[in-house]
Amino acid sequence: MSATDATGSFLSPHAVATPPGAEGWEQLYPYYALLSEATKDVEERELWFFDGMHNPSPIYPFDTIMTENWWVACNQLTTRVWQIPPSWGIDHRIINGYLYISPRGVSDPQQIAERAEHFQRRAGHYYANWDEIYDNWIVKAEDCIGRLKAISFAPLPDREQESFVTEHRGLFSSYDLLTSYDRLIENLFEMGAYHFEMLNLGYGAYLTFKEFCQEAFPGITDQTVARMVAGIDILLFRPDDEVRKLARLAVELGLADLVRDTADANALLAAIGEAPRGDEWLQALEAAKDPWFWYSTGAGYTHTDRAWIDDLRLPFTAMRGYIDKLEAGEDIDRPLERVLEERTRITAEYRELLGTDDDREAFDQLVQLARTVYPYVENHNFYVEHWHHSIFWSKVRELGDVFVAHGFIADREDLFLLHRNEIHSALYDLIIGWAAGTGGRGPTHWPPIVEERKRQLAALREWTPPPALGTPPDAITEPLTIMLWGITTERVQEWLGASDPDASELRGVAASPGKARGRAMVVTDPEQLHEVQRGDILVCRVTAPSWAPVFSRLGAAVSDVGGIMAHTAIVSREYGLPAVVGTGYGTQTIKTGQLIEVDGDTGVVRILQEGDA
Amino acid sequence: MTALRTIVWIDQADGAGSELLGGKLGSLVEMTEAGFDVPPAFGITTAAFALFAEHTGLQQAAKEQCAGLDLDDLQAVERVSAQLAQIIEDAPMPPRLTAEVTEAYEALEQRTGMPGVPVAVRSSGVSEDLEGASFAGQYDTYLWVCGPEDVLRNVRRCWAGLFGPQVLTYRPQDGVPVIDGDTLPGMCVGVQQMVQARAAGVMFTLDPVNGDRSKIVLEGCWGLGEGVVKGDITPDRFRVDKVTLELLASEIGTQTEEYGFDEATREVGLLAVEPERGAQPCLSDAEAVAIAELGKRIERHRGAPMDMEWAIDQEGRLHLLQARPETVWASKPVRSVTGDGAGGAAVDRVLAKFMSFGAGTTGR
Repeated sequence: MSATDATGSFLSPHAVATPPGAEGWEQLYPYYALLSEATKDVEERELWFFDGMHNPSPIYPFDTIMTENWWVACNQLTTRVWQIPPSWGIDHRIINGYLYISPRGVSDPQQIAERAEHFQRRAGHYYANWDEIYDNWIVKAEDCIGRLKAISFAPLPDREQESFVTEHRGLFSSYDLLTSYDRLIENLFEMGAYHFEMLNLGYGAYLTFKEFCQEAFPGITDQTVARMVAGIDILLFRPDDEVRKLARLAVELGLADLVRDTADANALLAAIGEAPRGDEWLQALEAAKDPWFWYSTGAGYTHTDRAWIDDLRLPFTAMRGYIDKLEAGEDIDRPLERVLEERTRITAEYRELLGTDDDREAFDQLVQLARTVYPYVENHNFYVEHWHHSIFWSKVRELGDVFVAHGFIADREDLFLLHRNEIHSALYDLIIGWAAGTGGRGPTHWPPIVEERKRQLAALREWTPPPALGTPPDAITEPLTIMLWGITTERVQEWLGASDPDASELRGVAASPGKARGRAMVVTDPEQLHEVQRGDILVCRVTAPSWAPVFSRLGAAVSDVGGIMAHTAIVSREYGLPAVVGTGYGTQTIKTGQLIEVDGDTGVVRILQEGDA
Repeated sequence: MTALRTIVWIDQADGAGSELLGGKLGSLVEMTEAGFDVPPAFGITTAAFALFAEHTGLQQAAKEQCAGLDLDDLQAVERVSAQLAQIIEDAPMPPRLTAEVTEAYEALEQRTGMPGVPVAVRSSGVSEDLEGASFAGQYDTYLWVCGPEDVLRNVRRCWAGLFGPQVLTYRPQDGVPVIDGDTLPGMCVGVQQMVQARAAGVMFTLDPVNGDRSKIVLEGCWGLGEGVVKGDITPDRFRVDKVTLELLASEIGTQTEEYGFDEATREVGLLAVEPERGAQPCLSDAEAVAIAELGKRIERHRGAPMDMEWAIDQEGRLHLLQARPETVWASKPVRSVTGDGAGGAAVDRVLAKFMSFGAGTTGR
């Protein structure tokens, strides 16, 4: 299958073939997320690009709640709330299980002018009151998380507790189960709305500063612009800071050898519990866990992105590295003062190079505004994708246990094979079965469906989604598409020209400076992270900030997707790791074992020689 | 006459400025005093030239020849130029100058520990190198000159260059020709140890293409920097961010020839470069950044964008050969990015940014 045709278009989304064994995959997803004959003409005229940044793998039916959320939450702000003049948001389709999205522009000048008037007033209000709105945003986010934590699921009892009778409650466990589920879903949509409340505007303010710099200082790197704006108290670094603290404490308490020699996380916890003063360390671990270990190993958008709190291997691996450094006499603290000094120095030096007082005035104001919005831009990730969503997935698993207890599914994880609306039906089936004593239809209805869907997903996983489908527009103009995914007119042109899987050179976004050579390690599943060896160059569809502990072992990182504002870019820069993101075809072109070179200054990745293994 | 300073070393200038040393040497004094690594050099000062002109009657001859000279009559100009050059070549050198130049050259041999040390002899005019009135390229430079006799011979050639047709006909903006007959322009001749360059070139502490002051752009070639200065070798080009000192881009060509001392002809000429070396960048990335860092320090010292010549010797040591203020962009209106009328308030700019996404451009 060729990814492009002779007319300068990508393959039509309607011409994508179903991978063998995945026939009928469409039934995993709601009808409105699928391509349809009725809308074929429109769909073929649009550009669809693969959103591997948030969903690198075929989406589980339940997990579409995340993509469906932002299909509404992000777009409603663009189109109905702010009325961002030239944008009609980003449309979605699920194709062979993968999310493809399409930026949509407004071209009618009159419509743009009408929207502009409202946009100016509304967005202006948010910018003018940003700090206060952000403070309040944190209150809302924490309150939402608090209510999420309070939701719980338990199997329905054979006999209701007597207090329901003596207290004349009138409502019983069936009602609680049903409404808890509703609250869980509502809670996700609530946080999903907060997620985007300030995001477009935050990115816009940052981008304006960035483009000002690029005009004043042509060729200035994105990293350098980010260094002028980035703060040091970024929540995304806190989990790793906590690991450093635990490493230091382990050394102080004489637990270093134990940590180093006990590979299994549970065995280590047990051994520390028995060690003298081990309880002090365990207490510190517990204190750090909430909220800092609610830290996803992926983008947080899928249930397969497990959090540190579920799987302590990643933080413990990082901790061993820090213990080694401590014992070698190295300083493991992040050089906060130096980062801050550099930020001050760089900003002052660029300012000095501007030609006029007006330029300096504009620069001062823009850097100030960018620094104002940046804490939200950086920190919303922790509140939303890490803290909230990790707890959300754990609550769904709790509900999975209820379905297992009632014989609807064999394993709690199987629940993710059902769409949220199917779960709503299944829950009603379950409470009927409980109330009527029939056991419900579920135990015979769902297991074969779950098994078939697992087979279909496995077949879809074997398929490699091309970076783009459909017809490229003359220019990409949708702000978020450019700001977050790094999809520009130029990038699309590169994809059109560079879809040869035998190419030995790939181009992407220079996300973090430096050059490195090393053995390629292609990771398509976070589980493979544990196989990464020191000096390897990670090649993946997308990296997640929580992979940072693995980053310290890497020589460089390469991803298929992502822009300069993506989570990855931020953390790669902090860890001083050369990174090229948005290569489009990295995981297809590069094979594990090959010797490759990554140039994080120019965004080029070269395959130097074939692997020997 | 004893107070007449005919020889001034750049590291012992003792207050001598461009009046005595001309712009080029005066600038090297400043760079040396600021601690930059400039190869040792001395100037045969404007006072020495005045002494020569007086001693040989050159001053009088120039006055007579130039009086009433029609500067649009090229043949006449060339005739005058040749006659004055002949006087300079033939006239006996004042014995004092011969002795002092010889003594200074021998001192340079001592300092460098190199008998017959190769030097570059170049003119350093008083009106040269001044911001806004660059004469760069209008005077000659003589490379790989060895021994006091050859130095003196080339000093005469530099002096003669002052009366070249292009100088005689040069009219600065105020309309007064450089050679107006009554007084001769000040002319110093610099004698500087040659750096036996592995690679050399020029550097601007701004982007010469667009005047962007946040960049340092350097061009280098294998061997002596003449190839870059003359422009007959396509150099490797490096762009460095002035603030972060990151190498932003490099364009590496293949060089088949380099300037160097040709043992056969006993002078500097084009020599073949082995293909393997010629395909390599003439500088490592780290060297390019180190040169840029030098440029940044010099700009900071001078407080204005600079145009410099540098060389890396066989041991890898970096030397500053020339430093002068950049003149092209300095004389243009200041570059501004806010002249677009988008308003100063940041929020207005951000809103304008959002509006512009649909306009089919990335906006301003």
